[in-house]
Amino acid sequence: MNDKFLIWQFKRGSSKALCRIYVKYEDIMLTMAVSLLNDVNAAEDVVHDVFVSFAQSAAKISPNGNLRGYLTTCVANLARDRIRAQHWQEKVGLDDTESICLKSNGPLQTLIDDEQFRQLNCAMAKLPYEQREVVTLHLQAGMTFEAIALSQDISINTIQSRYRYGIEKLRSFLDGEVEK
Amino acid sequence: MRPLKDTEKLIKKSHIKAGSDLHQRTINDALQAQAESNKKNSALLQPNIWRIIMKSPITKLVTAAVVIIACVIGLSLWRTTGSGIALADVLARIEQVKAFRSQWSDQWNEDPNKPYSFYYETRGTFLQSQEYGIKSKIEQLDPNGGESTFKEVYRSPDRKTLIVITPKQKKYWRVEFDDSWSEQLQEQGQERDPRAFLKRILKYKYESLGRATIDGIEVEGFQTTDPNYLDNDPNSQVDVKMWVDVKTRLPVRYEEACAWFDQMRDKIIKRAHFVMHDFQWDVPVDAAEFEPPVIPDDYTGTVVKWPAINEENAIQGLKQCLEFFGKYPESITECGVFLFKRLAGSDLALRSVEKSETPAAMRLKEELKGLSEDDKVTRLSDATTPIRSLARFYFEHEWDKKDPAYYGKTVTPKDADKVLMRWKVSDNDYRVIYGDLHAETVTPEKLAELEKLLPK
Repeated sequence: MNDKFLIWQFKRGSSKALCRIYVKYEDIMLTMAVSLLNDVNAAEDVVHDVFVSFAQSAAKISPNGNLRGYLTTCVANLARDRIRAQHWQEKVGLDDTESICLKSNGPLQTLIDDEQFRQLNCAMAKLPYEQREVVTLHLQAGMTFEAIALSQDISINTIQSRYRYGIEKLRSFLDGEVEK
Repeated sequence: MRPLKDTEKLIKKSHIKAGSDLHQRTINDALQAQAESNKKNSALLQPNIWRIIMKSPITKLVTAAVVIIACVIGLSLWRTTGSGIALADVLARIEQVKAFRSQWSDQWNEDPNKPYSFYYETRGTFLQSQEYGIKSKIEQLDPNGGESTFKEVYRSPDRKTLIVITPKQKKYWRVEFDDSWSEQLQEQGQERDPRAFLKRILKYKYESLGRATIDGIEVEGFQTTDPNYLDNDPNSQVDVKMWVDVKTRLPVRYEEACAWFDQMRDKIIKRAHFVMHDFQWDVPVDAAEFEPPVIPDDYTGTVVKWPAINEENAIQGLKQCLEFFGKYPESITECGVFLFKRLAGSDLALRSVEKSETPAAMRLKEELKGLSEDDKVTRLSDATTPIRSLARFYFEHEWDKKDPAYYGKTVTPKDADKVLMRWKVSDNDYRVIYGDLHAETVTPEKLAELEKLLPK
């Protein structure tokens, strides 16, 4: 269903529209959150909190807004806040990243058992957070560099650089070419 | 090493399906939150006594009469007690000024708790002459208390050339604007020109702040907090104040305070504060003051042209993509790298050209061989001017919410009947550039039919 119509219904208090929006975007929100946090439990919490907050924000949502962009940006912002709160980025060095790759003790672990994706998430965990965020927002959330730059109030040059460094590092990690 | 595209594909393909536990928990909590929020909002929207009274036709007539009387009384009070300063008169007064000097400071401040917070503080002097252009000296302060960076900026009176010199780094940067850009930059108030600021305030809702004294001068203040002043960003707030000398009717101080909120609008993530002060109006100036110094031989620099933003140049940009890369870009973002003046962007642009084997790309690569890094950037920027024009054309339409769309991923030069790019020109019309680069105006209905033909 068209996003503009969903927003229109949602702004009029439709619970059906709210459910449809969630069903439409839950997987992309979770995929992104896992990529950013490398912790399935924390990622689930972020998705939950973002969407509950979204449910209360009907008045704030622009009728012509980009729903996908809005929700994925909220996920990125909250994930960043959680990372900051827990100081993960500062504590985790390259040697530690293997241990935080997809921390999970829940049933979701079985859904992401593809070895390739496991490797990808481990590699993502090694990226500096700022680069991981741009790679995730661009490739998983489908946001343009312009949109990412606008949402973060950072110049597009910086976003492009972060993306380029991030994606190249990721390729090196996946090829096992980066020496610890 | 695996190709970069494979890594990108792998990330794009990665998909995690939410489990039923998360699904149920989130849906339940979200529905409950929505129900509570709806309840609160509907309470706020209950018809109040005022609305009930106003439903009566007699009350409406009586109220209208009261409003008219109140307006007449209010108008007479305003005429007798107000300062008499009208901002339009201030603008007219500034237009007569031939040259002025001022000082300014600019501060950008992000949430310090953010992992990548950004702090930026500059200050400088500004000399503007209608006849000779602009000269500005800028000091960028080191947030850690270290040495400042100094820049000199010179803008020609026709607004077509801007030269920035950083003596310490022995660098210069020359920008050449198309006419359309120079007008637009002035209109957008990007030149720190009080005339542009006043024009913008006049466009929006503003109010008088009454009288005050600044530096011993009696002034009257005007304020706008209209969100449209700042690009209509729903996540921002703006507070603009202009203080005008009640005797000369010329500005004494201009202040612009902006705050940006996070997506949830819960907290401020960035602040900016710009002040222009110590104005000296109608100062005598000498043409020599505005002459950029001769760039010493040991300085390195780049030259960047800002092309005009129009359909013709956008089509030229698409043609140049074909020449350089043998195909249309898959997305306009790909062209965006050609917009960058800094090395990271130029580096990306260079790589795009280096990967291509078309005759035009080979010729350009040959030309770039042996050039210094700065000269490479200049030559590349020059050679890809139409592509930059295309990118700007698209981004400007996106920014203006003109509903642009681009289908370079699936449309080729052979597709004379398929929409390659389109944007809105009015409520009833869209402009369309087809795969073979001819263009026409179509109705939204026709566009919908055309877009149905596009490959999925």
